[in-house]
Amino acid sequence: MIPYSRDPHQIIPTSAVKIIGLGGAGTNMLERIALDGMEGTELLALNTDIRTLGSCLAGGKIQLGANLTKGLGTGGDPELGHQAVLEAEDPIRAAIKGRRIVFLCVGLGGGTGSGAAPIVTRIAREEGAFVVVFATMPFAFEGKRRRDQAETALNELAVLSNALVTFDNNRMGELVLAKQGIHEAFVAADHMICESIKAVIRLVVRPGLINVGLDDLMSALRTTRSRCLFGSGMAEGRDRAVKALRNALASPLLDQGTLLKDAQTVLVHLCGGENLTLFEIELLMQSLHKLVPEKAHILFGAAVDPAMGDALSLTLISALPEDSLAMAPRDSLSSAGDNDNPLLDPSQGFTPPSSVARIAAPAAAQALPAFVPAAEPEWPAQSSPSPVFEAVPETPAASPAAPELSAFRRSLAAAAATAAPTLFEDERPFAEPSIPAPSSLSGKPDLDTLTETVLPEDPAEKKPAVMIAEFVAVADDEDEEFENYLEAIPAVEVVKIVEAAETVEAQADEEPADADEEYHSYEAVADEGETITDPSSIDHQELESAGFGKLPPKRPAGIKPWSPVVGPKNYVPDLDDEPAPAPSPEPEAPKLRLGIKPAGPQSELSLDSTPRGRFEGENPNVFEGEDLDLPPFLRKKK
Amino acid sequence: MARRTKIHVGLEIGTSKTCMVVGEVKADSAVKILGIGETKSAGVRKGEIFDYSQARACLKDALAKAEDASDVEIGSVFLAVTGAHIRGINNRGTFRLPDGEPVVSPDHVEEARTIAREVHIPQDHVYLHPIIRNYWLDGFEQSTAPVGLYGKTVEADFHVVHGIGTRIQNSIKLVREMPLEVDDIVFSPIATAQMALDREHRQRGALVIDIGGGTTDYALYLGGAITASGCIPVGGDHITNDIHLVTGLPFSKAESLKVNEGDASADPLHSVGNAKLTDERGFAEVEVSRAVLNEVIRQRLEETLRLVKQRLPADSVEAIGAGIFLTGGTSLMRGFSELAFEIFGRDIYRPELPEISGIQANFKDPRYATSIGLIRYAQILETERAEPPGLIGKIGSLFWPFGR
Repeated sequence: MIPYSRDPHQIIPTSAVKIIGLGGAGTNMLERIALDGMEGTELLALNTDIRTLGSCLAGGKIQLGANLTKGLGTGGDPELGHQAVLEAEDPIRAAIKGRRIVFLCVGLGGGTGSGAAPIVTRIAREEGAFVVVFATMPFAFEGKRRRDQAETALNELAVLSNALVTFDNNRMGELVLAKQGIHEAFVAADHMICESIKAVIRLVVRPGLINVGLDDLMSALRTTRSRCLFGSGMAEGRDRAVKALRNALASPLLDQGTLLKDAQTVLVHLCGGENLTLFEIELLMQSLHKLVPEKAHILFGAAVDPAMGDALSLTLISALPEDSLAMAPRDSLSSAGDNDNPLLDPSQGFTPPSSVARIAAPAAAQALPAFVPAAEPEWPAQSSPSPVFEAVPETPAASPAAPELSAFRRSLAAAAATAAPTLFEDERPFAEPSIPAPSSLSGKPDLDTLTETVLPEDPAEKKPAVMIAEFVAVADDEDEEFENYLEAIPAVEVVKIVEAAETVEAQADEEPADADEEYHSYEAVADEGETITDPSSIDHQELESAGFGKLPPKRPAGIKPWSPVVGPKNYVPDLDDEPAPAPSPEPEAPKLRLGIKPAGPQSELSLDSTPRGRFEGENPNVFEGEDLDLPPFLRKKK
Repeated sequence: MARRTKIHVGLEIGTSKTCMVVGEVKADSAVKILGIGETKSAGVRKGEIFDYSQARACLKDALAKAEDASDVEIGSVFLAVTGAHIRGINNRGTFRLPDGEPVVSPDHVEEARTIAREVHIPQDHVYLHPIIRNYWLDGFEQSTAPVGLYGKTVEADFHVVHGIGTRIQNSIKLVREMPLEVDDIVFSPIATAQMALDREHRQRGALVIDIGGGTTDYALYLGGAITASGCIPVGGDHITNDIHLVTGLPFSKAESLKVNEGDASADPLHSVGNAKLTDERGFAEVEVSRAVLNEVIRQRLEETLRLVKQRLPADSVEAIGAGIFLTGGTSLMRGFSELAFEIFGRDIYRPELPEISGIQANFKDPRYATSIGLIRYAQILETERAEPPGLIGKIGSLFWPFGR
């Protein structure tokens, strides 16, 4: 069932993707997407207001209602927005023509957004595109009128669009620290939306080992009148699986995972470097299982991207009916406690190689690395529809890999009692021991189980990309990737910064700054008494030291695990002996990272491992840059 | 309607000790301490509970001791809480009188108070105390009630103490599980100030610094009203830890060196030679240069006091008329008042070690200041909460004019 031939129909080139920002809020989101860099995709801004349109960075711009509003806005009147977009129907139609996927970013509640969004959606649908709408709902303080307008538009969009992702602005306040300005709050909100658009594109556009496609995305978002639950996390380092999950759950849209417990369908997408192990996936999924209900439908997808290097990114997408969200408990403290401890347990599985066999069949264990070299950063095979291994032999390392891979597959197949002579057997025996295979996986094999099979052509040349773990699927231009990474990192880091700031804030006795007021307006909306969200209560350091001390070092990024392999027998001990030191390109890595430290929360605060006596292992007692737990006698001598 | 004798219990779960004081407030408002239950704390760090079961065991022990000593069955306590997360801020609520109402009515005052109490606190924080400081009428200070006066705007100054909800809940939960009721929670320095300061001190301006085992709590009173309060997570434990880190001595030795030999005055006369600890046979076990020992202690205490000073509102130290009152176990450190004088330049009052032992002596022991202060706090609260005499009370007092 593993289709090794890459069917061109299954690959959606990024050029077939159009991102449309509609209205003022939509243009802002688009701007954020443009700033964050999304290569390959076309951006189109639609607005009635010529001023905001003029300053927009998007590639394409269409003014709505040039005759009707004469370059002014709609003044919050959806009817005007409706008529304005009808005026510009033809240029919009022309711009959308031939696009496979259209993402529509819109802020509902205003005139242009609410009035025009349904029309634009309809046009896009008529042009045969798959339309995913990202809509933000207005703040509660904007009043009932706007809310009603937004609701009306949302109802129409729910019918018209293929998938509807809703963000509630009220929750956006949780993205930023109280003291940060309103500008930052909106930037964070736009960033969040941008991040989720990227994640969706990554999901849809790039086939993975275990593929999830549009169909899965749709079923994850299928609930009518729903709020999107979205979380994306990235981590690298020793317990990156857990960290990535934690980062993903830190998304305010997930509320530390508490909201997931009502989810019917959860889409989980993992993307890792070549050293992504099955056990990491297992570990992560085990932790995740504690958060989602048992009967929930988990759509699991995994992709290997050599450009991810040592990093692992996790994307969670789900939807909740709106009414259940309102009632969902918001005590994230309790959930944080739930998360932490269970996460620690499965790490034991990493330590002894023998436990490998306990968790999954050895064959399954080897199957995953077998895929690893198969992933590729580019799409050279697009031109060759024949079985992809024929395209490989120019790379010397790949040729031994190919027959061997087949040998593994055969052993897998034997286990599954199908001794078919086909080289490439069903991939599911590998997936099944650990992951409940979603029905859609087995149902649509051709789409789901695409395996990429071309090695990175030149490892030396690829090194930078290897270390720069990036979000975006298709790796065309390395520089652009790096920029992406730079942009993407803050999303993950925001939480950590918030935590760090929280702890400092707790000790610093400052009068709350004026910016608090803005924060409190959010707070007032999100019933302030009950919400006790204290991210600093999650003691990362403890978790780290307690849980994953024994984790073996991962295979360094950029090393081709297949190069030394001669035969399958040779390979088996190599895999079992995971901590075996392999030559590592690490020394080059730091240069490329430019001082960004995605791993290790607050590591920069622990003052270079000075002994701290009875306060050892506690959070640093920092006040005005000095750790109060250290003797002033020693501090001043330094 | 003579007021009956009332028994109040104060509980402080400190970093170094858990202390429960049973006090009797007599009809004439005199306070008599009936008994004290004290036990060494475990599971508390920097004023906050980190090991729940250990802290619970300590509290049980203190409760049993207090009941034993006082022969009172304890049902409810006033609980002192502290921790670096607790902060005090000042806020002023302004209410402009509506047109046609030139005289300040109680409703107007109440409105101003409500506005003043609405301080923006972080999401996870809860209010501990809103303490009224004084009223302003048209920009002039009216420290007493402005009701009945002509004016245009009424302003109420409040000192609002708030802290992280969950951490405070932890202390309350611990007490409730005894099971004991919590009458009220009080921020430690405010309780201590009840004990350490009298009305005149507060009027003239006084600063209370309570240096305990894990935290340093402070409360500043100016013009009769609280002006600042807070907590710095540094205390006597840090001194011990510093000695341990600098000299490499074990904690027990460092502790006894600190208690028996330490001096914070920076007087070179006190830093001559070596400080020795002898074991029970009289042999010197440990020898540390006094210069080093004292310097370690001094630097820590100096830093702590400077942090306190830094956190006080600008120019408030100069406004302190009565002086600075040091309490808490660490304030017993030799030479501490010299050090405090050096930093603040105000009169320093420091309790001396009690010369005699026994219940009476506890009044003077700074280590019990907070717990005893809680009793005073309870007493004040009691008077505030006491219903103003209704009609029946008034009739009653006609017949019995000697009560109340």
